[in-house]
Amino acid sequence: MEEVDNIIIHTLREIGCGLDDDVQSLKHFSTENIVEATVKCLRVIGDGVNISPALPPGMSARYRVGTQLATSCQELGFRGDIGYQTFLYSNEADIRRVLMFLIEKMPKEAAEVASEPMGKSAMLKRSIAAELDRQMKSAWTPSYCKQDGLCWRGTKPRQWHREGLIGVRRFHSCPVRTPEGVGDITKKIPKDLKRYYDKHLQPLTSQPPQSSQVVPSVVEANDLSVTAQQEWEAEWNQQGLPSRLSEEDYKARKRQRLEKRISDQLRQAIQQETSKATAGRDLLQVLSSFTDRGAGKGVTKGSRFTHTEKLQFAQDEETAAQMMGEGPRVDTEEEMQRKREEEVEQLRGQLEEVTGQLQSLDVEMKKFTAGIQQMEEKVNTEVRGRSDKEEAYKVKKRTLDLLPDAENNITKLQGVVDGSSQRLVNLAQQWEKHRVPLIQQYRELKELNANRESQSEKKLEEIKSLREKMKEVADEARGKDDVYKQLASEYERMTKDVNRGAYTKRIMEIVGNIKKQKEEIDKILIDTRDVQKEINQLTGKLDRTFAVTDELIFRDAKKDEAVRKAYKSLAALHENCEQLIKTVEETGGIMREIRDLEDQIETEGAKKTTQNLDRIMGDFKQMKQENSGIVAKLKGK
Amino acid sequence: MELSAEVQEGLQLCGDSAQISDSAFNFLLKAACNTLLHGRQRDRGVLDDPSVSQSDPSVLKQVFASLTTLFLEAAKHNADSTNTSSLLEDSKMSPDRIEAFNNVYMSNKIELQSVLSSTGSGFPHVVDVDWRLDYYMKNNHLDHVNEPTYLVTLKTEEPGSSQLKDVQFACTVEQLQDMVGKLKDACKSMEKASQS
Amino acid sequence: MLLVLADEHKEHLGFLNEVDVEVVREFCRIAMEFIRSGPNPKLYQSAAQKLSVASETVQHGVEGLMFLLTEAARYMISEIDFQDSIMTLGFSEDLRSLLLQLYLDNRTEIRTILSEMSMDLPHYHNLEWRLEVTVASRTLRHQVTPRLMMKLHTQDSGEKDVQVLQTDPVNLLHMTRVLEGALAEMKSTHCRRIVRNIK
Repeated sequence: MEEVDNIIIHTLREIGCGLDDDVQSLKHFSTENIVEATVKCLRVIGDGVNISPALPPGMSARYRVGTQLATSCQELGFRGDIGYQTFLYSNEADIRRVLMFLIEKMPKEAAEVASEPMGKSAMLKRSIAAELDRQMKSAWTPSYCKQDGLCWRGTKPRQWHREGLIGVRRFHSCPVRTPEGVGDITKKIPKDLKRYYDKHLQPLTSQPPQSSQVVPSVVEANDLSVTAQQEWEAEWNQQGLPSRLSEEDYKARKRQRLEKRISDQLRQAIQQETSKATAGRDLLQVLSSFTDRGAGKGVTKGSRFTHTEKLQFAQDEETAAQMMGEGPRVDTEEEMQRKREEEVEQLRGQLEEVTGQLQSLDVEMKKFTAGIQQMEEKVNTEVRGRSDKEEAYKVKKRTLDLLPDAENNITKLQGVVDGSSQRLVNLAQQWEKHRVPLIQQYRELKELNANRESQSEKKLEEIKSLREKMKEVADEARGKDDVYKQLASEYERMTKDVNRGAYTKRIMEIVGNIKKQKEEIDKILIDTRDVQKEINQLTGKLDRTFAVTDELIFRDAKKDEAVRKAYKSLAALHENCEQLIKTVEETGGIMREIRDLEDQIETEGAKKTTQNLDRIMGDFKQMKQENSGIVAKLKGK
Repeated sequence: MELSAEVQEGLQLCGDSAQISDSAFNFLLKAACNTLLHGRQRDRGVLDDPSVSQSDPSVLKQVFASLTTLFLEAAKHNADSTNTSSLLEDSKMSPDRIEAFNNVYMSNKIELQSVLSSTGSGFPHVVDVDWRLDYYMKNNHLDHVNEPTYLVTLKTEEPGSSQLKDVQFACTVEQLQDMVGKLKDACKSMEKASQS
Repeated sequence: MLLVLADEHKEHLGFLNEVDVEVVREFCRIAMEFIRSGPNPKLYQSAAQKLSVASETVQHGVEGLMFLLTEAARYMISEIDFQDSIMTLGFSEDLRSLLLQLYLDNRTEIRTILSEMSMDLPHYHNLEWRLEVTVASRTLRHQVTPRLMMKLHTQDSGEKDVQVLQTDPVNLLHMTRVLEGALAEMKSTHCRRIVRNIK
């Protein structure tokens, strides 16, 4: 009970009840204390109760306050008898019940500091909040007081934040050069390059012209290199490996291809340039023909004039490409303009003639080449046919020669055939003999190789899996470290005024005590049951023995006088013993009742009913007086 | 964090004690860090020091370039000593050199990050406010105007210039109240954000 | 204060005295239209024909009336002063009260129109803001840099200008504090005295 009281008083002190230090248990609570405690609890629960914690002096007001408190408690769900008397004329047990109920209803602030989600967004929000908080609390300094626009705070760890853009420069990089492959003994670096690296090349950070460009240049150089390598790897994996060339061959071939394309395009552009009648085209048009995109797309920025020119000369380009360097020249002098145009017309006519001739010649050439090809094919077939026929002729000639001596020849031929087939068989056997061990060797070597490969593969896999496990474990450890740091910071943030350890210890003690008591109660119950069983057994035995003796003696009682006396005394003995047993039971029952009544007396005594009755009488008289006073005032008005 | 092949080559060279002695290594670490932090004081003789006179100059320069790149990339990605250690182990550097690197890196990491943050862009940044309260009495078309006017100058900094630029405008009392109200809203929302 | 009218002005206005009150009312309306949107020569022609006088006279009359009104509005002349000023013109009672009424009704409008002609500095129009946090940039991943972006709208006699600015929390608080101090300055005794005494 004391612990309960201590907890109640402690909680009430926490929510702001002004309880004196010598109020140690609920017995010492006065009516004012009770009312104050209840009102404060109701306020914390958030009932919006507008009662002042101090008891008003007037009796009717006090009565009103009491009923209000009682109704609020009932609204909150308090089961049990409650009315104004619980607050104004209190007794310990009731107050304890009410206060415990109210305190349990109070919102638990501890539950609100629940485990916060530790996702990345929450962490980001928290870091943003912390940074904002820190910056908002720092004092303002004018811009010329800060070095480079940075504001340093704190000692360990030093923190900085940037105010203003005075030290900030845009990302501007410049190309930098570092020695490459210097430490690799297998690569040969030309002497001149080595001399440049040694004597003339500046260290990396001294190369950019401005100090603000150092960082961007270094970062850019690294990024360029990394991207170039990634692109090369992607290209090699996609196109290089299937082409089954070595790396250098693939690169050489690619380079050749690109150079050829560039030279083709340049040649075409030059020819188009020299066959033009007026000023040349835009550089962009020339460049656009380099790309593979269709002629329609490219950025043709030429004016309408050059466009129409292009269409006009489209046909002539093909012939001009074949007749290199031949074509009308440009002459922008206006006096010669007409003459030139006439010449141009003439030459154009000539051109067309010649083109036509060339075309017809072309066609004829093609016909002839086709004819030549046909002839060649015919010749080949004829030659083949001839060789076949020659062979057939040879065979037939031999047979004709051998025909006279037919039978001998046949046997000879047979023998030859047999001999050759035997030879074949011999050779095949020898070959087999050679082949088998070789094949075995081959198989063994293959197996060895495969084993080695599989072993090395297994080892690689093991290494990989180990590395992955290491990474996982490292990640877990890091995650747990983060969690630990977070929890540590949260723990520091939480207030530590409530001694939770003591409470938990006491709670565990109480739980232990209750367990022990329960055990003892169980033991007693078992004992009681045993005793009851014994009693039943003994009564049973008694009845049975009595019945047996009764019968026995009754049988003999008819004959003998002494036995009849014995029987009468047995019956009397039995009756007396029964009465004794009954009295003992009654005594036990009465003892129990006495104990119950004593308990009731105690509880009633704690209720202080006489005191409360006196106070009620006093208050009642007071109320009567107040009422009569008010009635008199009303009448007086 | 990705480093190019040349940088990794340089790091391997760096761990090779035959080419770079221990004192040379320590000197190179400090030199790389200092030129990055105190960029305005860089000069050509950054690698002129007796402790590195033994090594081949081109090797020195490559190693210096790799260390500089590693410092910057590690600070850029906010790497801690485990990341850098694993990277240097891949480049076969000996553990005490790795530890020396980590010491120099961790003690200067915050300054390196502040140097990295000085590369960027932004809009004109307001750093100061000047104001003047005038009483507008009359003009050449109208008498008895009698209006108080504020002339507000916002001093802004722009990236790349060391001078403050001014943004000037006039406002009446109501307009200034409107503006101050909006600024106060912004302050309040910042406070709310700083508490959640 | 009294308006001192030039002789030429008086001559032009003298014409008004010779016509009916209704016509003068019409002229007043035309004068107000003139002030609002500019002269309308056709009206002068038609009026001149109706009244069988030269159109120039009509024009002068209207312009004189207009000038009288603008000058009066410019100096914010009180009623009594206005009446005294036009007393010298020798107008009739009705005319005078009509002119006074015209003056009083349209004074504020004339003043607004006049104020549009005066010089103007770029005026604050609107301020939009938004709070941002930079979490990464090309040269520094993993940073938390809060900043406030602002869009300042100013207006300079009709021309609108928009400027984008940024600031950080410390400077924002400083700026707010300074401008609040500026506003509070209006309520200081010195300012109040000046405002009270310069009328």
